Amino acid sequence: MTSRRRHPVRWVAGVVLVVLVVVGVVLATRTPQQATAVASPLLGRPAPAFTGSDLSSGSRVSLASLRGRYVVINFFASWCIPCQEEAPDLSRFHYTQAHTPGGAAMVSVVFHDTTGTARAFLQSNGDLWPAISDPGGVIADHYGVTAPPTTFVVDPSGRVAAVLEGPATQKNLESFLKAAGARARATSG
Amino acid sequence: MIDAHLGTIGVWLAFGASIVGAIVLLVGQVSRRDAATPTGRVAGDGRLLAPVLLVGALLAVGAMEHALVTHDFALAFVAENNSTVTPLLYSITGMWSALAGSILLWGLVLSVVSTIFVWRYRRQAADPVIRWATLVLYVVSAFFFGLMIGPANPFVTAAGVTNGLGPNSLLQDNPLVAIHPPLLYIGFVVFTVPFAFAIGMLATGRVGDRWQIECRRWTLVAFTFLSVGIVLGAWWSYQVLGWGGFWGWDPVENAALLPWLCGTAYLHSVLVQERRGLMRVWNLSLSIATFALTILGTFLTRSGVITSVHAFSQSTIGPLLIGFFFAVVIVGFGLIAWRGDRLRSPGGIDAPLGREGAFLLNNVLFVGFAFVVLLGTVYPLLYEALTQQQVTVGAPFFNTVAVPAGLTLLFLMAVAPVLSWRKMSGTVLWQRLVIPVWIGVGTVVLCVALGLRGGATLIGFGLGAMAAATAARALVLSVRAARTRHVGWWRGLVGRANGGMIVHLGVVLLAVGVIAATSYRHQAELPLHRGTPVTFDGHRFTFEGLRTVSSPSRTAHQALVKVDGGVFAPATSSFGSALSDVGTPAIDSGLWGDVYLTFDAVGGLGAASGNQAIDNLPRGSVAIGVVVEPLVTWLWAGGLLIGLGGALALVPGSRRRATEPASAPPGLVTGAEADANHDEPTPAPEPVGALVARGVSPA
Amino acid sequence: MGERPARLPLWARVAVPLAVLAVALVIGSGAFDAGPQTVAQRAAAIEVNVRCPSCTDLSVAQSNATTAIAVRHQIEGMVAAGRPTSAIDQVLVAEYGQTILLVPPDAGGVPLIWVVPLVLGAAALVGVGVVFWRRSRAFDALKARERVA
Repeated sequence: MTSRRRHPVRWVAGVVLVVLVVVGVVLATRTPQQATAVASPLLGRPAPAFTGSDLSSGSRVSLASLRGRYVVINFFASWCIPCQEEAPDLSRFHYTQAHTPGGAAMVSVVFHDTTGTARAFLQSNGDLWPAISDPGGVIADHYGVTAPPTTFVVDPSGRVAAVLEGPATQKNLESFLKAAGARARATSG
Repeated sequence: MIDAHLGTIGVWLAFGASIVGAIVLLVGQVSRRDAATPTGRVAGDGRLLAPVLLVGALLAVGAMEHALVTHDFALAFVAENNSTVTPLLYSITGMWSALAGSILLWGLVLSVVSTIFVWRYRRQAADPVIRWATLVLYVVSAFFFGLMIGPANPFVTAAGVTNGLGPNSLLQDNPLVAIHPPLLYIGFVVFTVPFAFAIGMLATGRVGDRWQIECRRWTLVAFTFLSVGIVLGAWWSYQVLGWGGFWGWDPVENAALLPWLCGTAYLHSVLVQERRGLMRVWNLSLSIATFALTILGTFLTRSGVITSVHAFSQSTIGPLLIGFFFAVVIVGFGLIAWRGDRLRSPGGIDAPLGREGAFLLNNVLFVGFAFVVLLGTVYPLLYEALTQQQVTVGAPFFNTVAVPAGLTLLFLMAVAPVLSWRKMSGTVLWQRLVIPVWIGVGTVVLCVALGLRGGATLIGFGLGAMAAATAARALVLSVRAARTRHVGWWRGLVGRANGGMIVHLGVVLLAVGVIAATSYRHQAELPLHRGTPVTFDGHRFTFEGLRTVSSPSRTAHQALVKVDGGVFAPATSSFGSALSDVGTPAIDSGLWGDVYLTFDAVGGLGAASGNQAIDNLPRGSVAIGVVVEPLVTWLWAGGLLIGLGGALALVPGSRRRATEPASAPPGLVTGAEADANHDEPTPAPEPVGALVARGVSPA
Repeated sequence: MGERPARLPLWARVAVPLAVLAVALVIGSGAFDAGPQTVAQRAAAIEVNVRCPSCTDLSVAQSNATTAIAVRHQIEGMVAAGRPTSAIDQVLVAEYGQTILLVPPDAGGVPLIWVVPLVLGAAALVGVGVVFWRRSRAFDALKARERVA
């Protein structure tokens, strides 16, 4: 076993080295996961229908009745800190939209929370737009919501135009609406 | 404020010491490359810097702990991980509750290990292998302390904070937070030493037997700490996380498992090198791979590229850690590619039915399993790099791999300890195995008779019983031999081989516990109304009432549930100023199984959204999650036994000096094997443990 | 040395416990106890492969989070309606994305993630076999040479 100089160790070590370097390069080029606009599978698809009764007034709210307007659907919970952080921004957004002709409608959906605490949360934030409960978490399930706050923007034709995970800001929402509106004008004009 | 200054000084001191030490050693190596002075003090060997490194680390750790214990919110780290109401224990453990502090703990352990290393080999300080190894230790220290100067600085100051957030709720729920991370880190860090030795041996081309034996002892220490650390981590998450499980194939859990697998492979494979001088390159590669995997694991835990319940995630530290991983891999495997062929032993494995063959299979199994677990862990990242699409790889994949791997492992544990070195006849093998085989088969028959079902599960129980019988047989023989030799029967339980058998017993206990707990787990959500008992899976549950327990740091809303005899209180707790509630499970532990309770819902709070574990729960009733898991306690007992066995294995059994030449020439046929063609069974050679206890070096 | 009683040959002594084991395993595999798969069993088998949406690693079978319960209800409804597993998976993926499944997707019917492990496993077995075979041959050759010499 002396004359054959085949260096098996060199080959194996070389292969292992190359594989590890490739894996390392892939890992090195991954960006850490951040909470930003998310590539939800619902983008561009029709938004799942839902109905519910408003927590404070008891009136019926349904997505179908809001067809023809932009709708911002916000999943929230009273125990969720980012929801508390985004509440002022949502209120400001609602104000500007309410005072703009053809502005967006807003609906909040309670995510894993009790009626009492959810109502209290809404009241402390002015209770400016309808909020419905979600018994059994069915609406959240259909929308693929994993954690609050998650915000969906639905365009007038009923398709999901944007999905935001994490606290939404007024600026974010307004820029989404602007971009979606521009796209709509570009395709129709 | 003074803590921040002291801490920063400590970190810089440690960093400086390691850089200077590395440079001194490097210059020394380069300038006297061919000198091999065996004795005497050598100027410029850099040893004195190890104590300086230790002092720097102790200073930094002392400053951090002082700041935590005195709630000094001038430090941003303290503001984020401590509060005025945090109890003392959780203030202390707060140091490793977040990224920067965990690197500090790593640095501390590394400096202690380096100091012990330098002290232990002080008489061989001139040996080139030791010099290179010390150099490597300094470089690794410099890296970790350098991280603390840069992105992971624990001593950043914060202004105007009067009360901090406190540690994460899950990290102040259970005292195991004081034990699991330090044990785990000790396990990880001690693997640096075999790596350092491997680099030294490759760089100098000297594969001395003495250093392999030393490597083995360091690896055994690391293995023991890491094993106990991992099992305690599983126990901790079992007690705290609320789903009744103990292992989720989480990327961070896998990150701890991977070096454990390679380290265990190394521990076995190095026996072949000690006995027959074979598998040298395997052993060097395994040392390097184990250390590289600890670095990769650190990267996965801290870089944020994979989400995990355990992850610390901070983006800036990722590139540095992966860069260090590159350096380790390129240097390590590059050296092997360069020098490896020259280091191969001339001998070889003679026959499959022999212990060397079994160890080769063992290596392949462990390394293969580690590779597949690594693949599964990074697969989502690789897939996303190629297709821009996100996927998850979860328990189903890992379990599909783990089951055959685990069963093969149990089989090897059952058979390999009775194999002789070099070659053995089937008759002798059967002689030694007949009792364990019948015990295994008997166990399977008994389980089937008791009504237990499931093919893989039954095979697992049978192999486990067989492996336990093999280990017990070896221990019994060893104790008997020690008695015959009049050195005290307990000598039959210490030392490398016997400690190893005790570790095997622990592994069997653990494996049987895992198999039972996962195969026969029963889970249900029980609506309990006050005073009305409910029966599930042979246990009786009665809801007795609600209770709230408050203390400054923690408020718990408990549901008092009577399980068979005793009363348990699963709860939801909120901690101090931490803002979200966590569930605090209650566990009824017994020898034959656990009943695991979680407090899931209270009725009558109004139509809850999404929380319908049980629909329409009436006011005053509760929903209690129940998981009944058999034999879970065997897992923790097995872990304890592994730790005990590892510690016993470190006791020097008898003087064994590595005086044999590096490898035995092949083809030597001793008298017994030459008669392999005859039908007479050769006299069964004694197991290793007995021979070692007698003080004889087995051939 | 006294007289040895007549013994079974080695192969028979090994075969007896193995035969007992085989019988026990056949009974113990549960093939004889099982009836047709019930709705609950089918749902459970699917739930093990679906990730709890608000957890990181757990399946909806293991977790009692609110989102997991909702998904379990959804799966059970679809199973009771008789929909095939692939359709159920597709509905979940349409809601949550591919990451809702704990098993990565196939590429054209080939489960990609298994390619490397199986290839590696085969290569390892072949490699070990080759090592043994070569060494065995060298050993025998050496023995033969020593006998001649």
